[in-house]
Amino acid sequence: MTTSTKCEVTLSVNGTRYTRLIEPRYLLADFLRHELDLKGTHIGCEHGVCGACTVLIDGKTSRSCLHFAIAVQGSEVTTVEGLASETALHPIQEAFHQSHALQCGFCTPGFLMTAKEFLAENPDPTESEIRLALTNNICRCTGYANIVGAVKLAAKALREGNPANERA
Amino acid sequence: MNAHEPSEGLVGRSLLRREDEHLLRGRGRFLDDLPEPRHTLHLAFVMSPHAHARIVGIDASAALSLPGVVAVLTGDDFAPLIKPVTTLINHPSYRPTGRDPLARDKVRFVGEQVAVVLAETPYIAQDAIEQIVVDYDVLPGVSDAREATLDGAPQIHDNAPDNILMADEFKTADFDAVFAAADVVVEDEFKIGRIAGLSLEPRGCLAMCDHIPGAVTLYTSTQVPHLVRSALSVHLGISESLIRVVAPDLGGGFGIKSQIYPEEFIATALALKFRRPIKWVQDRREDLLTSVHARDHRYEAAIAATKDGVITALRVKMYSNAGAYSSFPFGCAMEVIGPRRYVPGPYKIQNSFFRTFGVCTNTAPTGAFRGVGAPGTYLVLEGLIDRLARRLNLDPLDVRLRNTIRPEEIPYTHAHGGQIDSGSYVPALDRARAMIDYDRFRAAQPADRLVNGRLRGIGICQFSEGSGFSTAAWRARGLVAVPGIASALIRIDQDGQILAHVSHTSSGQGHGTVFAQLVAERLGANYDDVTIVQSDTASVPYGSGTFASRGTITGGGAIIRAARELQEKLKRFAGFVLNVDASSIVLEGSRARRSDAPDVSVSFAEIGKVAYSFDPMGFPQGEQPGLEATAYYEPPMATIGNAIHIAIVSVGPEDGSTRIEKYVVVHDNGTTINPLLVDGQVQGATAQGIGGALMEEIVYDGEGQLLSGNLLDYLVPTALDIPDFDLAHMESPSPSTEGGFKGMGEGGVIGGLAAITNAVADALAGTGANVNCVPLRPSRIVEMMDTAK
Repeated sequence: MTTSTKCEVTLSVNGTRYTRLIEPRYLLADFLRHELDLKGTHIGCEHGVCGACTVLIDGKTSRSCLHFAIAVQGSEVTTVEGLASETALHPIQEAFHQSHALQCGFCTPGFLMTAKEFLAENPDPTESEIRLALTNNICRCTGYANIVGAVKLAAKALREGNPANERA
Repeated sequence: MNAHEPSEGLVGRSLLRREDEHLLRGRGRFLDDLPEPRHTLHLAFVMSPHAHARIVGIDASAALSLPGVVAVLTGDDFAPLIKPVTTLINHPSYRPTGRDPLARDKVRFVGEQVAVVLAETPYIAQDAIEQIVVDYDVLPGVSDAREATLDGAPQIHDNAPDNILMADEFKTADFDAVFAAADVVVEDEFKIGRIAGLSLEPRGCLAMCDHIPGAVTLYTSTQVPHLVRSALSVHLGISESLIRVVAPDLGGGFGIKSQIYPEEFIATALALKFRRPIKWVQDRREDLLTSVHARDHRYEAAIAATKDGVITALRVKMYSNAGAYSSFPFGCAMEVIGPRRYVPGPYKIQNSFFRTFGVCTNTAPTGAFRGVGAPGTYLVLEGLIDRLARRLNLDPLDVRLRNTIRPEEIPYTHAHGGQIDSGSYVPALDRARAMIDYDRFRAAQPADRLVNGRLRGIGICQFSEGSGFSTAAWRARGLVAVPGIASALIRIDQDGQILAHVSHTSSGQGHGTVFAQLVAERLGANYDDVTIVQSDTASVPYGSGTFASRGTITGGGAIIRAARELQEKLKRFAGFVLNVDASSIVLEGSRARRSDAPDVSVSFAEIGKVAYSFDPMGFPQGEQPGLEATAYYEPPMATIGNAIHIAIVSVGPEDGSTRIEKYVVVHDNGTTINPLLVDGQVQGATAQGIGGALMEEIVYDGEGQLLSGNLLDYLVPTALDIPDFDLAHMESPSPSTEGGFKGMGEGGVIGGLAAITNAVADALAGTGANVNCVPLRPSRIVEMMDTAK
């Protein structure tokens, strides 16, 4: 059970289709980071708890450390690099900045992806709904209050039709 | 605020961080994100599954036959490459425990590394690890510090028969008489669980040879690049001049990355030996097994007082679990010598007796994590004050007030010699009392103790926070190889842009923003003209690095001194250009103006053209070219901030659950550069204190097998566990430091731990439960209540 035969995987990441030859056991997180050089998806635990590696697979949040790349063949994957445009941050990112919702920033991409899915499903959440949704991810620096505040602020910005920065 | 900021009033403003955008876009460059050079070899470690065992043999033949495996090395292979790492502590009781980079004859904790694999990919390296067979002769192990000191306990190091690595005693002259004469004595035992720093980014490093013959560069997730450089030089026998250490973006540090680890020596030695880049990134299990843990203290403590609640003496006996080796470079010195220096903190307790022990066990080494010995020491002191109040039927806040240093008593000198040069102890207490409406809560409490089936209680932690230690302060703890200095090199280029190199490493604190605020203000420059460079020993002058909340104090002090010197040169050059004496030049907004004719000015860029000889007008006589200044700063002994945390909690008497209903913090860190970021530090640290109070615990079985090696078993707080905090700042600048700054990164952990614990104890006051052990997981609270029945 060492180096196995490589196989071809094709998937779409942030709107671009990629085909690569990889081992079947290659993790989606490693695929994104090392095959596609999308280093914004971070690996914090490799057992699906911390949420730093959260990406969207066909619009749903998922732990990229728990998926083999081959298993998401044909899917649409969105990573943190898919949020902002070249010139402007996504409203959720902007809200994190305005709220001082990040310190070391290692967990941040995962929180952004969780918030993106959550606000798409629940555009006007209560604080307790936000806190429950954010249990998807661990932050060790901020104590969460500012992240909760950022999600509130982002919800407001998105509701008030501030999609100027929203890509796609 | 990205627009051009005026230079005046930058200190004290809540500017948003410049670090954010690249992190938000996923463009941070953490260790594992650095571009991997071609031909990088991936390093992985074989770790001991046993807590205590002799190594009988290692068979790597199967691993070596795997395609892509380049080498397997064991402890003996490293003996000629790396000297055993020994933590130096100058204390008569201390027994040093040398640690080989890989265990040679014996392993002493689960996770201790016994062999390494080098392979072409990390996946192959992991395959190879599984193919290496290590034959162990298993020995009995011990994980509890007090048990390890008993007769018959397994002996871990040859030179420490009773497993005690260090023991300290401190007693004031009148202690015995005062203690014996007290009206009342309250005593108890306390236990504080072992915890993990758990930076979300695990540790890692990337070592490679340089273009200069014999030179090597180590990228490593460290808070202390210069200390790593010095340690590599000593232990690998290479000139320090040939070593470059770079810390990329750090995904949290909290002290655990201020320790220097075997992997850093090994990766560097292997890069030099194999002449290929060597990369190692640990996973979470490896982090929980091998990164330093913290706390794991047992206390037997007492306070003596008058019947009016005036505390006259404090007695503390403490066992600190040092783990299998004295970690490098701090060892157990901060735990053993620290407590008597942390307290009595805000209180006028002039008699004390401390006996403290650092004990080795078959567990991972313990070391620096946010707060170090202070959270435990205040848990004990503040817990005893509450017990005293209950005994005397006095209000616990009033007892604190009665013993707290009053404004007119500052400066105040403690019995151990520590001096409080400033602070807002009583005013902060009064303010927190008002913010949480303490008196109303207390008045209503007899009737309102049980609300909706939950018991409500209120808990206080008042403390002082020592930080920014000087070399002398480290020496006072016996740490002879830890300097207490920082440096700043500020340079203005010929285009007027300012680059400030500061000997610190940010792991989320926002140095790139706050140091730029300070440089701009002190230089008279535009904020946007200033860029901060850190964490690279090739470009930044020497400094101890970033730990013990020293960033703003020591980096800030160095910046202020360098800016002062550079201002003088700017003024001389501006005087030359404007044809006036330097003394009539004022610097603001990246321009030098004539004080008598403010419309007559010259920009820093224009001065830069002159200083670097791009300007045809020539050069002032007797001056050196260039516009830069370097300054080092070492603060006096330590700065002492103060704070108070008060929490209201409710506890479910059936399920043992704790909910935080309200939480207030009043703190004072002297001069504040950026209140927004200070709030962030307080919130984050308090969350870690709450984690330690309610859930976080590294658990070993009695013989040293780790039972909490993943994040399902080692619980950290989530967004549902941490409340919103009600914060207030007070500012009592230190008169003894440049800038008046005091450290504040750790106070939240100290306050969070004891405030929550005391609140739970208050909630359970009627049940007879003795709340003297953290974390207060639901099962433990139920157990405490059952024991009381």
